[in-house]
Amino acid sequence: MQKITDSPIDFAEDIIHDVKNSKEEGVLKCVQCGMCTSTCPAARHSDYNPRDIIERVLEGDITILEDDCIWNCFYCYTCHSVCPVGNSVCEVNQILKQFAIKNGIGYEKLYEYMGFADSYFTAAIGAIPEIFFADIDRDVPGWWDFRQHLDEIRNELELDPPLMPPKDVIDEVSTILTITGFKKKIENIREAQEGEK
Amino acid sequence: MRDDLKVGVFLCECGGNIADVVDLDEVRASLDVEFVGQFENLCSLNGRKIIRDAIFDHDLDRVVVAACSPISHEKTFQDYVKPLNPYLMDMANIREQCSWVHSDRKKATHKAITLINASIEKVKQSDAVDPIYCQTPDEVAVIGGGIAGMNAALSLAKQGTKVTIIEQSPSIGGHMAKIGKVFSPVKIAEECGMCLLNPILNELVWNDNIEVMTNTKVIEAERRAGTYNLILEKSPRYVDTEKCLACGKCAEVCQVEVPNDWNDNLSLRKAIYRPFGQSYPEAYVIDMDNCDKCGDCFRQCSMRAIRLKGKPEKTLLQVGSIIVATGHKLFDMEKRPEYGYTRYDDVITQSELGRITGVNGPTKGKLLKANGEVPKRVVMIQCVGSRDEKPDGHRYCSKICCTVALKNANIIKHKYPDTDVLICYTDIRTPGMFEKYYKHTQENEVRFMRGRPGEVVKKGDNFIVRTEDTLKGEFVEIEADMVVLSTAMEPSDGTKEIAEILNVGTTEDGFIKESHPKIKPIATDVQGIFVCGTAHDPKDITDSIMQATAAAAKVNEYNYGGVEIEPFIAEIDNEKCIVCGDCVSRCKYKSMSIQEDEVYIDPMSCTGCGKCLVGCNQRAITVNGNIDEKILSTIKGVLSKKQEGERMILVFLDNIGYTAADNIGVNRLSYPESIHIIKVISVNRVRPKHIRYALENGADGVFIGEFPGDLMYDEVERKIQRVKDRISEMGQNPERITFSKVYIPYFSGLARKFNDFDEKIAELDEVES
Repeated sequence: MQKITDSPIDFAEDIIHDVKNSKEEGVLKCVQCGMCTSTCPAARHSDYNPRDIIERVLEGDITILEDDCIWNCFYCYTCHSVCPVGNSVCEVNQILKQFAIKNGIGYEKLYEYMGFADSYFTAAIGAIPEIFFADIDRDVPGWWDFRQHLDEIRNELELDPPLMPPKDVIDEVSTILTITGFKKKIENIREAQEGEK
Repeated sequence: MRDDLKVGVFLCECGGNIADVVDLDEVRASLDVEFVGQFENLCSLNGRKIIRDAIFDHDLDRVVVAACSPISHEKTFQDYVKPLNPYLMDMANIREQCSWVHSDRKKATHKAITLINASIEKVKQSDAVDPIYCQTPDEVAVIGGGIAGMNAALSLAKQGTKVTIIEQSPSIGGHMAKIGKVFSPVKIAEECGMCLLNPILNELVWNDNIEVMTNTKVIEAERRAGTYNLILEKSPRYVDTEKCLACGKCAEVCQVEVPNDWNDNLSLRKAIYRPFGQSYPEAYVIDMDNCDKCGDCFRQCSMRAIRLKGKPEKTLLQVGSIIVATGHKLFDMEKRPEYGYTRYDDVITQSELGRITGVNGPTKGKLLKANGEVPKRVVMIQCVGSRDEKPDGHRYCSKICCTVALKNANIIKHKYPDTDVLICYTDIRTPGMFEKYYKHTQENEVRFMRGRPGEVVKKGDNFIVRTEDTLKGEFVEIEADMVVLSTAMEPSDGTKEIAEILNVGTTEDGFIKESHPKIKPIATDVQGIFVCGTAHDPKDITDSIMQATAAAAKVNEYNYGGVEIEPFIAEIDNEKCIVCGDCVSRCKYKSMSIQEDEVYIDPMSCTGCGKCLVGCNQRAITVNGNIDEKILSTIKGVLSKKQEGERMILVFLDNIGYTAADNIGVNRLSYPESIHIIKVISVNRVRPKHIRYALENGADGVFIGEFPGDLMYDEVERKIQRVKDRISEMGQNPERITFSKVYIPYFSGLARKFNDFDEKIAELDEVES
């Protein structure tokens, strides 16, 4: 039962005021029509339900931060582009994940993606971590072969070789990531996960 | 001499609304005038006696009423000062613009004294002028021959008014003619739409007061003294309606077949055709874009009704008032490719379903798919283009689509009980009696699923409608072999065109805007132009007819009552005028014209903005009412009360901005006491000399607000920039002048702008002192 002193909307307000939210009051205008869910690939293949995410946010249900399902969204932004009231569950999802991380939740989910973080330091770009190669090759037949021969294919198409950031850029990006606390955050996640093992 | 005038000031306590914040004793003590009166409710009939007695007893020449806003009670007090001329009274707004926006008693009292003093100085400059009465011609043009236009015309004609219906298509009848069956909420049943429409059509055709012009459009409009001159263009029909018997032999021999738009392009028609069985005029028409001019029809016609040559003819129609009934169109499904409408024949709209199930439609009423089979499951998708903030979508609810879906679902269920009908909805909106029809539809075994489908894809011979059953929280794929889209209603192209031609305001969605959504739902913001039907907003047939007949009543009210106009408009001195025409081309409101070698000014469209004055080399134009002097005296009246260290900002607003400012008070928001609002008939009347005078004589800042919809907006904006440049050249700070957009509904924004400007001026004062 909701008590008279409860203010469930506070949770939604926190999300609206997050810097990542570009849709102003969109969350509050949700009428639960389900159009997001009807086009969501994650909803089709898992128990992720974008409409339900907003419903729980509006109910002030903060246990959603601990729900494994929020990690199933992989940012295709379809919900963002179809929402009839101009909401973006995709952005809300990203904010929820940040809230979770701040509360020490989901480190094990992030741990799989550490390779992405490392590539910012080593190459100043987000590169697909090697541990995903096998999965991708399984899901996208021919992908590995394509990747192996990328240079030749580009050559054939008369494309320039891929532009890679030079060393001074890599150094600069590394410095920024260190000063802004990104590096520390990554170390914490590694420590927490590897410590557990 | 004006200084010798005897002025009486009447203070209203407004039952405490004013007296609780403003110390009226102190106000009374500060006034140096012939007479000061005070009463708790001046607008009551007792107030009338107090004012009138004082005018007689003290022989008053001018009256100031310090009370509420003139927007509320100017008319009341203009009446109460009789036998004084109504324009010898001025109102000092010490409620909406003082006691309701300020709380500091001392400051509010001083502000009230300042505002009253400004009114006293202003009213001394007033001259007795008489309002102008205009009588408009009785003839009426109804633009649009759909169900709304037909009813408006018929109602007027039955009351003895001459009406011309202007319809751009070859027949009157509009959308209702093609709907098939209609539904009325009281009878839980669907009825034949044409059977309801036909008697109205017949009555209209036989009424001598009505002239129907088909194939005709309004291409130009101009207004003079309450008379609209409409230039009409009639496209050739190529068939003489007087001779044609509508026997149809011409169409039999015509070899050209093109999609029949009356059937939503679901069937074919010939290049010579009759739009539909009951179309009026009862005659064929040639679609010249598709005609191959073989001459077969010409040779076939025994009546010699066909003329293959013809060109558009222009005619002039003079009327006193206009009813806009130009209707709607349906949402363009190319904008929502995810539903597959343009790719798949069996994804259709509710309008097309209406044609398919109509006995006079392409399948003679049989519900068939493109392959000729009866569908096993029909899925209807609601809110297509409505309640949709995506690009090209409409934020509003189209209001009728829920009931349209229910109606068509029932029609299917009656004839094909084995066909499963499922309606995917976000909310079912069936207010009032329509709710009973919703229940009836459920009893008919029509199924409902709460969820807004994201896409329709083809799988084998069938469709998959992807949606979420939001009540269960389950993602579902519904297999269907026909999908029906409930498309949004939007303003027709004709509605958009006529709004531009007649210069009537539209809503952000492009519908014709009513003059007030609550209390003036039929008048537009242009006098003498009224709106009805779906040109105004989405509505059903019943509501369209109600609004149409109401529009007819409003037109007659206007015809019989005449129009009273404020006399502060331009006047030409024909002795000086050389008829150069400069003012005619300058006037943004098109109120000037040259008639019989003289410049004529239409009192109904002149706003008194004074643009013509400035350009007239002969100085042959004046604007009645001593306006320049009134503005200057008001400024002097405010500034003369400036105290040591007091910040004074003058705000110039016309009727729109002033109403917005009143709304700040009505909603009990606040702004600084430094803000002094001066109401002007047009912001353009604030001359550079006024602004310079104000800044040189104590004003710390000048704020000018204008509604961007005003035709003079750009002009005023440029003018203010020139004044700023000039001020800058003279070594003063142009930052002390600001020009801002104002909107009536956006009063909180205006309050914020007042606060921001006050802060900025305070900073400037600090820096420059």
